[in-house]
Amino acid sequence: MNKTDGLIRDIRAIKEKYQSKRAALLPALYLAQREFGWLSPEALEFVAEALDVPKASIKGTATFYAMFKNKPVGRHLIQLCTNVACMIMGAERLVDLLRDKYGIEPNGTSADGRFSLVIMECIGACDTAPAMLINEDFYDNLNKENIIDILENYK
Amino acid sequence: MITVTINGKKITLEKQVTVLEAARSAGIKIPTLCHHETLEAFGGCRLCLVEIEKIPKLQTSCTIYITDGMVVHSETERVVNARKAMLEFLLINHPLDCPYCDKAGECDLQDLAAKYGPTTGRFAEGKRTHPESYDDPVIVRNMERCISCTRCVRMCDKVQGASAISMVNRTSKTFVEPFSGKRYDCEYCGNCLSVCPVGAIMSRMYKHKYRPWYIDKNINTICSYCGVGCSVTAQVKGDSLVRVVPEMGKGLNKGLLCVRGRFGYDYVNSSARLKTPLIRRNGELQQVTWSEAFKYAADRLRDIKERYGSEAIAGIAGGRCANEDIYIFQKFIRGVLGSNNIDSIANFSYAPAQRFFERIFGQGVTANSIQGISNSDGIFVVGGDPTSINPILGLQIRAAYQQGIPVITVGDTPGLKRFATCMLKPNPFTETALLVSLLSELKVKKQFLGGNSSFERLINNISALSMKEVEDICGLPTDNIASAVNMLSNMTNPSIVIGKDILQRTDGHINLLLLSAIMYLINGRVYLLSEFPNEQGLVDMGCLPDMLPGGRPIEIESFKKRYEEIVGLNISSTHGLSLSGIIENAYTGKIKAIQIIGENVLSNIPDSNYVGKAFSNLELLIVQDSLMTETAGLAHVVLPSLSWLERKGSYTNLERRMQFMGKAVEGDGLEDWRIISEISKMLSFDMGYKGLEDILSEIARVSPLHKDITYNDISGDECIWPYKGEPLRHGVSLEGMDVPDIGSLLKKPAKDRVYAVFDKELFHPDSLSRKSAAISSISPEPCSRVNRALADRLSVSEGDYLNISTDAGSIEMAVKIDEDIPENVVMIPNNFEGKGIFNIMQWKLNPVLKCPVLDGNEVKLKKAEARS
Ligand code: SF4
Ligand code: SF4
Ligand code: SF4
Ligand code: FES
Repeated sequence: MNKTDGLIRDIRAIKEKYQSKRAALLPALYLAQREFGWLSPEALEFVAEALDVPKASIKGTATFYAMFKNKPVGRHLIQLCTNVACMIMGAERLVDLLRDKYGIEPNGTSADGRFSLVIMECIGACDTAPAMLINEDFYDNLNKENIIDILENYK
Repeated sequence: MITVTINGKKITLEKQVTVLEAARSAGIKIPTLCHHETLEAFGGCRLCLVEIEKIPKLQTSCTIYITDGMVVHSETERVVNARKAMLEFLLINHPLDCPYCDKAGECDLQDLAAKYGPTTGRFAEGKRTHPESYDDPVIVRNMERCISCTRCVRMCDKVQGASAISMVNRTSKTFVEPFSGKRYDCEYCGNCLSVCPVGAIMSRMYKHKYRPWYIDKNINTICSYCGVGCSVTAQVKGDSLVRVVPEMGKGLNKGLLCVRGRFGYDYVNSSARLKTPLIRRNGELQQVTWSEAFKYAADRLRDIKERYGSEAIAGIAGGRCANEDIYIFQKFIRGVLGSNNIDSIANFSYAPAQRFFERIFGQGVTANSIQGISNSDGIFVVGGDPTSINPILGLQIRAAYQQGIPVITVGDTPGLKRFATCMLKPNPFTETALLVSLLSELKVKKQFLGGNSSFERLINNISALSMKEVEDICGLPTDNIASAVNMLSNMTNPSIVIGKDILQRTDGHINLLLLSAIMYLINGRVYLLSEFPNEQGLVDMGCLPDMLPGGRPIEIESFKKRYEEIVGLNISSTHGLSLSGIIENAYTGKIKAIQIIGENVLSNIPDSNYVGKAFSNLELLIVQDSLMTETAGLAHVVLPSLSWLERKGSYTNLERRMQFMGKAVEGDGLEDWRIISEISKMLSFDMGYKGLEDILSEIARVSPLHKDITYNDISGDECIWPYKGEPLRHGVSLEGMDVPDIGSLLKKPAKDRVYAVFDKELFHPDSLSRKSAAISSISPEPCSRVNRALADRLSVSEGDYLNISTDAGSIEMAVKIDEDIPENVVMIPNNFEGKGIFNIMQWKLNPVLKCPVLDGNEVKLKKAEARS
């Protein structure tokens, strides 16, 4: 109850900043995603209520953008690029490593719920490939060694 | 003037329209898929691409507007190739399951592919798959077929205003879904399926039973559920009904429908249909022949008339009977049986309200066009939720709101929650105080326009209530009232939409007086919500104890004389008993025989126990109906009448528009008018009608309002008030309208009690819809509504059952939580047999309006024992 009280307040504050309720939708969905972990039906209904926007319309927006999580994900989301530059620089071997060491399949979640892996198309770091995002943190120049060190920072 | 050239043809237009509209106005065809006349432009399918000189890229003609001198080509090689490519794209994923798809034969994509498309596609990979969804009882979704044109979503968002579905996901995975991903949780208007150009959203009612080329006949008729009177088309194959559909753009509904009109038509084939006449023998209803039944009814009526006199006989008419039926009915009861005891449910709210307004403003004051609502500059809704009582009228209000027109509501109007600029929710039954305060403030802000000085004097004498006092009584913040006053005072031609809740009150007549005063001050035009398709007809055809056809008072000698001369029967000039009087006198034994046509009185008026006892005291109850009802179950004689779709006739809607009902199929039974004339013949008065034409021509002579009217007029689009007739000039008088004593209105409802309020819901407005399998599958069980605080106090949660009791009885009903309801109210519908508010509601009569007073019905609530 209490955690959502704060969320309602924050969403309402965002709503105030815009002329139309729908304009506040994307930032509100971000907040809800942070609070609920993913955009569950419950989270969407919550945003619908707080913004007074029909829930079906909210679902439309939430399922359109790739940056919203429409199914439960691990505590940390790894978004690894395997596009041409990263591939040449060994990204696919990193995918294998993640599978072997942590048991994560692309688009899957590790059994312990710690990591989810999403394969990305180019995150704009071709010059320092391979690159990835963990949650909102950016890492580049990855190799089999440093990726493990990095991941160990996320428990 | 704007001149454009399309395909070499010069077109000059006054308004700046889209290239598509310009082309179509000149008969030039441009194919479209995502475009739809009722929806705003979208520009998504790109099928309507055209080449415009001086613009390098092809343009979507549905979104680009014409400018003077523009030169457009819609059939160049470039355009044709682009069109072909678009269709090829669409067919990458669209399954080619036309032989199996119900849309085949009326599918836009199929037609376009046949006309413009490539014969083969180059995309060799597999198509996307998506299981067909049968989660819903009446709608089936096949999202493999969806072409993402968004027509359904735009319809649901912008026109229906339900926003119940959206496009989810993106790219080739896009499809349409309700929030749940499964069953719809919406108003079930089905307008989304009307606009789907392909077979992605379809009705389950005729799934795999229909192909457009099967249809032998299209019969135009009018929906039989409510007083809006939407146009529908019944499609017939051989001698059976295939489906009932709207026609886009047609009728006052312009092709839109609500759930009842869309799916509710299957009651016509319900197993409850009566097939043969029945007579009660040894306590049981037994099948007899028509001639036995006529003879029996006539003999019994004659006998009762001889023994007790005409005053012991009464007639009750139903709001779904055609004008022709009810005209004959009142003639029979009045002239042949000699009794003015004839009435209908219209006299429980619609007719008294209309009469009240007409006494101040003249006959015809409520005859306003529904389409006009969205052209007014403000809307004031009081006494009911238009979106559930008269849904298509409700859509006009939603549309108006979306155009920026202020909408003010008083009371519980859940369907306007997202469409009201100001919602006033006074404490239960305190609307009078609120109306007084609105009036007091408006008197300060507005000048009289002049015209009715006696009414102005009356208005001036109504004493004021300050917003502060009202805040206390109604529990409404002063700001809220002040903003409503501001909006009202800025309106110059508002629509005032009035439902029966405001008059079925102890102070109902005062409420109407206050509303009339507000209406007078702000120059409003009034709309009366009407629950039955021919409620107005009941008034106009003289099914009232004191009025002859055309709304002519029976006590005025010249009207009575004219009636007697044309009809050839003598009638009494004393007022008969009204519906409540008829029931009461049956209860006390003064009324001995009642004839009912097309009305389930037992279910549709409050206090069923009392009504049931009254009916069982009767020596004779004759019921004409097409369905077996609770009322027919008590009858001594049951005469099956033909149902809607099985007979021709006319209805008069709440705008007082007369419309024609066509006959689509044959049925068991006879028209009500035929049944009545057969009984009449046995009572030695041969009415001698050969058909409807004879009846209408008599109506046209008897009723000055319907002077010279013919079926030609009625079948046309605009058979509107005052037809070719003469409105009544008598009767405008304020006699008996006294300045209300405002002091006596300052009462607050007790906080610690709980009151029952009649929930007029969308799916089951009265006892008819429960005979529709489709509507019953959407809404299979009645539900009461309370707010969270009350639910907590009773320790019930959603899905539990409530035991609701009064001195009149008790019912059990599932409960839903609704935060918008006051804590001391339980909303109870009246839509299932033996399980409605009318089973437990007692009432008295408003002394002025003579309609039931339904406020202050206290109930006791407790959680019901666990159900098996
Ligand atoms: S049936 Fe009506 S309310 Fe329901 S989704 Fe379709 S358009 Fe919307
Ligand atoms: S379901 Fe029909 S109307 Fe809706 S987007 Fe798909 S094709 Fe268009
Ligand atoms: S609004 Fe009334 S007349 Fe129109 S479809 Fe609905 S029930 Fe029928
Ligand atoms: S009809 Fe113009 S883009 Fe679809």
